[in-house]
This record gives sequence, C-alpha cells and structure tokens, in this order.
Amino acid sequence: MKDNAVSQWGKVGVELSKLLKILTLNVAQATHNLARRKDPIKDKTVSAKGKVRVEVHGLWKIFGSGTEQIIGSELQSESKETILEKTGCVVAVRGVSFKVKQGEFFVIMGLSGSGKSTLIRMLLRLIEPTAGEILIDGEDVCSYNERQLTKLRRHTTSMVFQHFGLLPHRNVIDNVAYGLKVRGVAKKKRYPSAQKVIETVGLKGWESYLPYALSGGMQQRVGLARALATDPEILLMDEPFSGLDPLIRREMQDELLDIQEKVKKTIIFVTHDLHEALKLGNRIAIMRDGGIIQIGTPEEVITAPIDAYVREFVKDATPARVLTARNIMEQPHILLYDWQGPGAALYILTTAKLDNAFLVNRAGKLLGLVTAERLKELIQKNSTEIADALEPDLPTCTPDTVVEDLFPLAASTLYPVPVVDDQGKLNGEIHTSTILVSMIQAKEAEEEEAVKEKEIAA
Amino acid sequence: MIEFREFLQFLVEFPELLRIPLAEWIDTAMSWLLINWAAAFDVIGDTILAILLNIERSLLWLPWTAIVVLVGVVAWGVMRLWWAGVIMAAFLILIGTFGYWDLAMMTLAIIISAVIISFSLGLPTGIIMARSNRFEAIIKPVLDAMQTMPSFVYLIPALMFFGLGKVPAVFATIIYAVPPVIRLTNVGIRQVPQSVIEAAKAFGANSRQILFEVQIPLAIPSIMVGINQTTMMALAMVVIASMIGARGLGLEVLLAINRIEVGRGFEAGLCIVLLAIMIDRMTHALAARQEKILTSEAKV
Ligand SMILES: Nc1ncnc2c1ncn2[C@@H]1O[C@H](COP(=O)(O)OP(=O)(O)OP(=O)(O)O)[C@@H](O)[C@H]1O
Ligand SMILES: [Mg+2]
Repeated sequence: MKDNAVSQWGKVGVELSKLLKILTLNVAQATHNLARRKDPIKDKTVSAKGKVRVEVHGLWKIFGSGTEQIIGSELQSESKETILEKTGCVVAVRGVSFKVKQGEFFVIMGLSGSGKSTLIRMLLRLIEPTAGEILIDGEDVCSYNERQLTKLRRHTTSMVFQHFGLLPHRNVIDNVAYGLKVRGVAKKKRYPSAQKVIETVGLKGWESYLPYALSGGMQQRVGLARALATDPEILLMDEPFSGLDPLIRREMQDELLDIQEKVKKTIIFVTHDLHEALKLGNRIAIMRDGGIIQIGTPEEVITAPIDAYVREFVKDATPARVLTARNIMEQPHILLYDWQGPGAALYILTTAKLDNAFLVNRAGKLLGLVTAERLKELIQKNSTEIADALEPDLPTCTPDTVVEDLFPLAASTLYPVPVVDDQGKLNGEIHTSTILVSMIQAKEAEEEEAVKEKEIAA
Repeated sequence: MIEFREFLQFLVEFPELLRIPLAEWIDTAMSWLLINWAAAFDVIGDTILAILLNIERSLLWLPWTAIVVLVGVVAWGVMRLWWAGVIMAAFLILIGTFGYWDLAMMTLAIIISAVIISFSLGLPTGIIMARSNRFEAIIKPVLDAMQTMPSFVYLIPALMFFGLGKVPAVFATIIYAVPPVIRLTNVGIRQVPQSVIEAAKAFGANSRQILFEVQIPLAIPSIMVGINQTTMMALAMVVIASMIGARGLGLEVLLAINRIEVGRGFEAGLCIVLLAIMIDRMTHALAARQEKILTSEAKV
C-alpha cells in the first residue's frame, strides 16, 4: 500500500519535472536571449501610474581598496571570482537599477551572499555606495549631508535588520521606542505607541526584559516592532521573518500585508524564501552575484524564469501535495450564451466591468471565450453571429489537471483557463493568481502540519 | 704609534665625546616649563589640593562607625552577599585596631582623589582614542611607555613641578595610574558591536546620541575594569609616593624600613593589603555585574 503510494508520487514527480522543463525552456529561452543583450538590466516592469518613492540607478558596491578603478574598466563585466582573484576586491552589488512606487511591496530575493543586505543598507547609506545613484522621493541621497541623512532616517524610513541589532542594554519597550526617542518624542508619548506595536507583534508581557532573555524569534519581532513604531513611510526589511517558526511567520506576514493594505506603506523586503516572496511581493527582483537578473511580478517570475538560476528558485515552488484544477477553480462571474447577440453580450460585459467571458450553449457546453474588443469589431461590421467573436486557440483543462500542468496553459494565454469536463461542460475557471496562491497555501499547510507533527512527536 | 693607541682606546672605552646630554636638555626643558607655565602648574596644584583636602577632611570628620557601616552596606550592595559586607566592615575595624585609622583615611583620600582625577582625564582621552585611529596610534606607545617606566621616575617631575608634599604625591600617582582607564575605555568603545551602532544610525541617531546612548553604556563593563586597575595601581604607588611627602600608611612603611622596625612595617603593610583587597573586591564586583548584564547581548 505504502509502496504503491510512493511509486505513484514518483511518477507524478517525473511528469512534473518534464513539463516544467519544457515550459521553462520554451518560454525562458526567448526572453533570456533578449535580456542578455542589455546589461545591466533596466527596470521596465514598473507600472506607469503612482509616484516613485525609491529609485536606484547603476548602484555598485565593491569592498576593498582601489575599487573605483574597477567600475568602467573591462574588469567590470568579469565574474565576482575573477575580480576577487585579480584585485582582491569583493563585488557585493553590481550595477543595480530599480524603481519602487508609493505603496508597492518590492521583494528582493537571492541566494546567500548575492548582495541583498548590502543593497538594502546602501539605500540608507549605512554602507557608502561605490558608484551609482539613489533617489528617495526624487532627492539624491548620495549627496545628502549628515543633517539631511539624519532627517531621512528619522522621519521617512525605518529598517529591520537580519541580525536584529537590538540595543543589549535597553529593555524591550525601550528598544521598540528607540526610533521615537531619537526623534525626541517624550517618554510619556512614546511608550503608549511602543506598547501598541509590542502587542501587534505578540510580545505583550515582555516589555521590561532585556534582549538576551528573549529567543531569536522574539528578538526578531522586537526588531520588527522597533521599525513599525516610528510609523515610517518607507520600510526596509532585511529577512525580517527568517528566524520565525512557520505559524508565527505566517501571522507576521499577514500582519504586514494588513498594514500595507491599510496604510499603503512602501516596503522593500529582502528574503531568500520564494514562497514568502510570492505571497508578499507586488514585484520581485532576483539577485545573483550582486546583480539583479530579473524583475517582475510573481506571475512573470514563476512562469517565465529568465535563466537556469531563477528556474532553480522557481522549481522550489512546486508543492508536494497534488492540487488539481477542481480544488482551485472559481465560478465565473458572468457567462454569455450563444443566443445572445453581440450588442447584448457587450452590454452584459461592460455593465459587469469585464472585458471577456466564456460563451456557453443552453446545455452549459463551452463554446469559447468572447472578448469585448472582438464584440466591438463585430458590431462595427454589423455582424450578428456571436460565434465570430470567439478567441482562437483557447487552452482548456479538465477538473483533474494538476496545478503544475496549469502553468504552461496559464502562460500561453492572457485569459482565465476554463475547466471543462468530459462532456464538454464548463465547470469553472482558473486565474494565474489563483494558481500561485493555492501553491503557497498548500506549502503553508504542509509546514503547519510539519510543526504539529513535531509537537506530537515531542 | 701614539695615534694608533689612541684609536684603540677609542674602540675599547666609550668615548666621552659621544655623550648625548639628555639630562641637561630635560633639565632645561623642565625649567623652561616651570618659568613659563608656572601659572598653569599653580592651577593644577590648587585643584589637586582642593580635591584631596576635601576628601581627606570628610573622611576624617565622619565618625569611624559611620564609615564602617557605610562600607559594609556598599559592599553588600555591589557584591550581593551579606557576609561580604560583614567581612569588608571587619577589615576596616581591623585597621582601626592596629591604631592606623587616621593614617588609613589619609591614604584612602590620596587614592580616591587620584582615581577621581584619573577617571575624569582618562574617560575623555579614551573616548577620543576610540574615535580617532590617528590619536590612538600616538597615544598607545605613550601609554605603553608610562606603564613600563619604573614608578620612581614619576617622582622626579612631580617633585620639580610641585615640590614636596601631598600634591606631587597625588600627581605622581595619577600619572602612574591613569593608563588603564584610558586603555580600557578605548577598548570598550571599540568593542561595541557594529550591528548595534548600525541599527542606531539607521534610526537617525547622530554621533552624539550614538556615543552617549550606545557606545558608552555598552563600554561600561570595560571602563569599570579600567577603574579597578587604576585603583589598584594607585594603591601600589602609596609607599613610593610617601617618599615625596604623602602622609599615611605608606609613610609608616617607609619609616619602618628606614628604622628596621619589622613589626611596625608589617602592621602598616597589612593595612595597605587590607585596603587593597577591599577596594579591589568592591570595584571588581561592580564591573562584573555590568558585564553580566551586557555579555549575553544578541551576538548572532
Ligand atoms: N564589510 C564587508 N567587507 C567585505 N565584503 C563584504 C562585506 N559585507 C559583505 N561583503 C561581501 O558582499 C557579498 C554580499 O554580502 P551580503 O551580506 O549583501 O549578502 P546577502 O545577500 O545579504 O546574503 P545572506 O542571504 O546570507 O544574508 C558577500 O560576498 C560578502 O562576502
Ligand atoms: Mg543578508
């Protein structure tokens, strides 16, 4: 019985990896070649609307002496190891550019040593950049004097550190209130605000303890609370959840999303956990050896990894649990019927504020997908046959299609994927975002189970 | 022939011609200092004297019972052991039973004033040293030299500047005892984890706030150790300083040596040892307690 299950799993695994390979090779190869030409990567993925809060152009950090000579010389494009060998300098960040909009959740992801911490520190000039430009709200931070820098750090930004950086001689509440204290807020005022944030991160009752009495995860939450206490407009977070167990981690992530939702903070968030990145990020930047090799929405990164390195990350997103289309499909808001004329159909679409919908017959059989654009063309041509408005090449899936197989389908179309049973009836529809969310949830459920198992074992 | 013998002579015996008159140079410099900086030395001397006299007077004015109780309670407080307080108080009473109460108080006054002045000079120097590598590079060899120099040597400039008496004794003691405070303040500040300073910076702390709210508090254990060592070195100068006129237990020992009175010398010497143990244990406990609070810091 058990053996059977195992071999079943094995088969699924092989199938999956095959499909993933085909998908990634096909989709990625084209973009890959394109992307290789422009180096360093320009951030074109940023949306047109909204105010830019943080903007970085060609930012470099090289540790060592004589570093200015490397930039601009032919050494510049050499690998990290070659440069280290030839000059003894460590390239931590290499010509990075990106823009972050007001209210955006920007995630920086990469393996250990890829320069994430160095990059995020440079934004506040805790590390001086070797070259490049940092603009926060349009102002050149690199040309700031000490006073302006202090003002920026006190009033606009705050930061969570990977290694916490708590003040060991101050208790929890004083640590949390530190940002306010530096600003000159009186004790009477800063303690209540600190108290609130302490409760948010679940550390009530620990206010008067010194950091050494707290576990690593608790210290991390103190660091988090300290950053939130100043109510900054821009939050810089360097792996703020890495030390937390899955349950608290998820709680904190939800809390952060909640804050983000309510008060629209601009967040730059470093992680090396793909699931976290997919869950939180509006956009994800992937770093390797100091450079950003891909920037995009979670969908783009998952469905079109730019090269083998990103693919390696994305592979990790496959949950062990087999989810099928049945589990994650949604019911369409509206359906169009084959007896409706183009005018009526367009009216239904526009009043529902949609630009496409599935067309079915009286029996509920799927005929295809109709878009508002095509309907308008039809109306202009005075055609009455709604079947002419169907989108060609509509991919479909069955209720038993596993989630991994939905990726290629989702990647090949701009529209939801219809779920069709063996009688050709429309059962539901699937959105790319749903696929991602479902995978993340599956992963989380798995983690929680693992925790529970551990507890039971203990 | 004669020339050759002269040459031989030159090789064998060190020639007088090659003599560097360092002693004369120093004498000249000293007298120049004395003439041109007399006012400054007066100010320094008066300050030292004022501090010393005030401490000495209060120590002698307080009834011995008050001091015994005070020492007992303080020792109990810093060492967190009630019997430690009792032992410290007993030591003091023991000194009194030898008949050396007043002399012990005079010695204590010299030590306390030397430590206070050393601390108020050493702390800022140590802080500057921690913040400037160049200053550290200059001061470090000076401190090394000060600590390796035989302590008698400090008596000479002290004598020249201030003559005989209590002031030069305290002055020599300060010069001898100040290096540990400077050194350990410097070390303590430099050892503050970069991650903590960085975090303070990230929240907009300016360099003054970082110094007073982060660096100095975290350097306190180290500074305490420095004070402990400075105090012990000041104690070590007690006998030597008495050669230029410091009264107290040191002078007792000195006189006993001169007159070969073993019993008297032993008694006075024992009193110094008792004082040393008391001061050492109490300052040490203070340093250790600070250390305990801070060493378990987030060292991840
Ligand atoms: N102060 C420094 N001096 C020299 N090299 C440094 C320094 N700080 C970082 N580096 C180098 O820069 C590179 C990037 O380091 P960084 O800490 O930014 O990586 P990271 O992406 O944050 O890794 P992790 O996920 O492990 O935190 C590494 O190769 C590291 O050795
Ligand atoms: Mg890092």
